[in-house]
Parts: sequence; C-alpha cells; structure tokens
Amino acid sequence: MFVRKFVYLVQEAFHTLSRHKGITSISVIIMSLSLLMLAVFLLATDNLLRFIGQAQRDMKLYVYASEHADKATIERLRGKLSAMPEVARVVYISRDDALANFRAQLGNDADVLDALETNPLPDAFWVVPKAGAHNRESIASLAGRITQLDGVDEVRYGKQFLDRFTAIVRGIYYVDVVVGFIVILSAVFIISNAVRLTVISRRKSIEILKLVGATNRFITMPFIIEGAFQGGISALLSLVLLFSVTMLSRRFVPDLAFFGVDKAVLYLSICVAIGSLGSFSALRRYLRTES
Amino acid sequence: MHNSTLDDRTVIGVYHLTRTYGDRAALDDVSLTVANGEFVFLVGPSGAGKSTLLRMIYMDEYPNEGQVVVGEFVSTRMKRKHIPRLRRRVGIIFQDFKLLDDRSVFDNVAIAMRITGARGFDVKRRVNQVLNQVGLFYKRNDRPAALSGGEQQRVAIARALVNSPAILLADEPTGNLDPEVTEDILRLLFRINSAGTAVLMATHDHAMVRNFGQRILHLREGKIYEDERTGLIGNLNDRLDAVQLDRERQKRVRRELDRHRLESVAPLRTDRPGVAGPLFERAPVPPAGSDPRSAGEPREENE
Repeated sequence: MFVRKFVYLVQEAFHTLSRHKGITSISVIIMSLSLLMLAVFLLATDNLLRFIGQAQRDMKLYVYASEHADKATIERLRGKLSAMPEVARVVYISRDDALANFRAQLGNDADVLDALETNPLPDAFWVVPKAGAHNRESIASLAGRITQLDGVDEVRYGKQFLDRFTAIVRGIYYVDVVVGFIVILSAVFIISNAVRLTVISRRKSIEILKLVGATNRFITMPFIIEGAFQGGISALLSLVLLFSVTMLSRRFVPDLAFFGVDKAVLYLSICVAIGSLGSFSALRRYLRTES
Repeated sequence: MHNSTLDDRTVIGVYHLTRTYGDRAALDDVSLTVANGEFVFLVGPSGAGKSTLLRMIYMDEYPNEGQVVVGEFVSTRMKRKHIPRLRRRVGIIFQDFKLLDDRSVFDNVAIAMRITGARGFDVKRRVNQVLNQVGLFYKRNDRPAALSGGEQQRVAIARALVNSPAILLADEPTGNLDPEVTEDILRLLFRINSAGTAVLMATHDHAMVRNFGQRILHLREGKIYEDERTGLIGNLNDRLDAVQLDRERQKRVRRELDRHRLESVAPLRTDRPGVAGPLFERAPVPPAGSDPRSAGEPREENE
C-alpha cells in the first residue's frame, strides 16, 4: 500500500511536470539563473580560500646560523628544530649550496662573486610549520623560540608581509560572508517565488484534492518531488553554465579551479533541498482549513 | 451540548449551529437531521446560508457554536487530520463541477479512489462502473473541457460516487445547466438516492423542486423557517414515529413503505430517454395519508 502510493505520487509529480511544460520551464529558467548567481559566488569563495591556503602553505621561516657555529652545533640545531611540535619539515641549506644557488640566480652576472675571497653566506635552514600553525601568532612565537636556540643568528619570516596578509584575509572573509548572505537570501527568495508561482497556478487542483478527501501529505508530496526535481535540474543547468564560463576564463586566470565532485554533489543536494522546501512552504497556506 | 452520536437511521445531524462572519450571522441556531437514504432539498435565496451549511457538513469550516455530526464524525471532537476520512465518505458536487482540466474524465473520477491507495485494478473496475452508471463510459478518455455542462456534472457525480458514500451533498448542482439537462441531473440524483444514498441538495429554485414529493428545508437569513415534508414517505415515516405503534407493527409498516418507495421511484430508476415519465410534469404529491400507491403515477399539473 505504501509503495503503491509512493509510486503513484512520483508518477503524479512527473505527469504534472510534463502537463505544465510552460510554467515548469519558466520556473526552471528563473531558478537556474538565480542559482548561477549563487554558484558564481560559491566558486569565487572556493578559489579564494584555495589561494589563501596556498599562500599560507608557502609560508616558511628562514633560520640563519651564526658564523662561528661548527658542524656539531649545526647538527644539534637541526635536531632541535625538527623536534619542535609545530614544525613539519626542516631543510638544511649549507653555505656552499647557498652560494651555488646565488650564483645560479645571478646567471651571467655571476662573475661578481669571483671578487669574494670567502663565502659570505651563513648556513641556513628552511623551517616549514605544520598546517595548524600557519597564522601570524604561532609563526611569531615559533620564531621567538628559535631565536633562543644555540647557534642561531637570525630568524626571518616576512613579518610585515604576514601582518598585511592576515589583515587582507580577514577583510576578504568579512566581505565574503556579507555578500554570501545577500546572495543566498536572494536566491532563496527568488526560488521560493518561482515555486509559489507553480503552486498558485494549481490552486484549483489543490482545492479539488482536498474536497475529495486527499490527505495533506498526499497533496504535498507531488509538489515536494517536483520542487526537488526542479531544484536539481536548475542546479545542474547552473553548474553546466558556470563550468563553461570557468573553462573560458582559464585563459586569463589559469589557476582557476572548478568545484570538485564532493562540492558539486553538496551544491546539488542543497539546491534540491531549497526546491522542495520552497514548494512545501508555498503550499502550506493553501492546505489550512479555516475555522 | 447535544448528545453527539446518531442513531442508526440518521446520517447527518446538525444541532444549534451558528456561524458568524464579522457581525453577520450566516447561520443562526440551525438544527436538522437527515435520515439514512433520505432525499432533502435545501431551498433558499442566495445568501441564505445554504453553502455555508453544506461546508459545515463536509467540515471545510467549523461552526462558532453548535455541532455537526456526520456518521461517526463529530465536529466538536474532530481532529483536522481526520477530515480526509470524512470527505471520502461524503460525495460532494458543485455548481461549477470542480473538475481537473488537465486530465481525462477517467482520471478525474479515479483520483478520488487513488488517494485512498486503492489498487490500480480495483480503481479501473470501479471507475468504469460508475462512469457507466452516469452514462459517460464512452467519453472516459476525453478532457472535461470537451464535454457539455451536463456531462461535466455527470463526471463530478461519478467522482462523488466512486467511493460509495452514504451521503451525497450537492451545492446548486444545476445552477449552470439549462432545463433539460437539469432534469437529467435531477433524475440521476433520484436514481442514486433510490439505491440508498442520502442526498442533500441546495438550490435557490423552489418552483423546480417542490413537486417531487421530497422533503424541503427552507432556509432564509441563516434560519430554517420551514421543514416541508411534502414527501409521502417521509411524512408517513414521521407519523409512524408520532403514533408510537408497537415495534412489530412499525417494522411491518416500514417494510411496506420501503416496497412502495421502490415502486414509486421506479420510473426514475432509468434515464433512458422515452422510458421515464417527464420529470417536471409529475403531479404534486397527494396529501399525506392518502393511498401511497398513487405516488409514482404521473398526473395532470393542477397549478
């Protein structure tokens, strides 16, 4: 009995969709355009977060050993750095390697280095912090503690850059949240109105179903299924549109990435939920019995 | 409050019903009962409260005061989620038919059954049966828009009957139809009634219905001011109650009456043209107490 009813309701939903092709396609178009707006926003946020994450992952500390440090001190220093809890990776660059690198960077101008009698560069380490320690405070405290270590001359981590970077990221977050709020709100508003349009156009059949003794659940289910279907189709359409726009913009912003499968699925299911909830809320006031 | 159960001869009980909209009372202390298998006309000018009364009976609205009892459903104790169950036991038809334009005649009738979760096979069989009953089986695949007004009302009647209700409520069912078609529809309603379904039909047209010998309730300004039991059978039934015959004799007389009723309605039990007597020329029913056998005979109009 339950299965039979469910099958009937699903059939009913799709029959109605095909019977009202005009109004269905109008609301799908409206929904996919407003969802496109939402998708553009989400993709922009996604890419932004990725860029920020990238920049944070690239952060590292440069630790310069003092001139007098001998091999043993350097080895001990390396051990101590690796043992620190926030440190993910330590790369040792000997002064000879550093000079070779420098020479390579200078290219044709490398002959100026021949004027030097001794290598002026110190032994150095790159210290890459762990994922959790990519913020300004922990990097500063890490730098402080490294400075105290035996054989360390200087620690550099781009303090000014880091300060500015942190401020910009915070600003971007605020703007993103505000814009996101507006975009989501307007998408929900537009979608629920498009769905309401469908419901109003079928007020009469709702009334008739009530008169012949259909339960509210029976009346609502086809609408919810339809809403979910329209939400899903619209989301798919907006994703396809956005995908082609993204591929075209790759020419200008080569790093631009599209949603991964997990995010696309999440986005689709959110749109399905918005569609069905929109249907449900638009229906509710036609289902009440006055008293 | 009135005792809220009906005896087994009553299908609708309305007790001291009052319904107001703002200051205006649409219904003012209305009480009535409809017996099992009875045919009742609810007559009154528009605005008298006929539709409101019917709406209270199928519980689209609740009264401010008083109580409506339909079968085992009691308005004052009823949960809203049980309203659909009530509606499946009560057939309702309207002046504007209320058919779904986007599906076929068959589907329009079938939907009242499908909502109950009936099996596809049963739906098909029963829908074809009622479509046959209203004479529209051959139009089952048409859209309502392709039918005439009378045919559309027949579809609505078929839909109302498909769940075999004990009660049929009709709100001005002939309001949009011309006289010949009106006659057809009335004939169909009588036929349905003679098969045992109680019918409560609201109309503004007293002249149209006064000669059928059925009970007529006059509603004016929200009040019942006359309960006209012109009908022979209804009247005698009442008298039986009044004279308090002993039970054995009551039973016997009722059996007799039932037999007569079947006979008296017999000409109406078919709507094949040419077989039935002309409906509107039926004689006014003889005064109560005269020979019941003459009830069904056509007579000269004497008004």
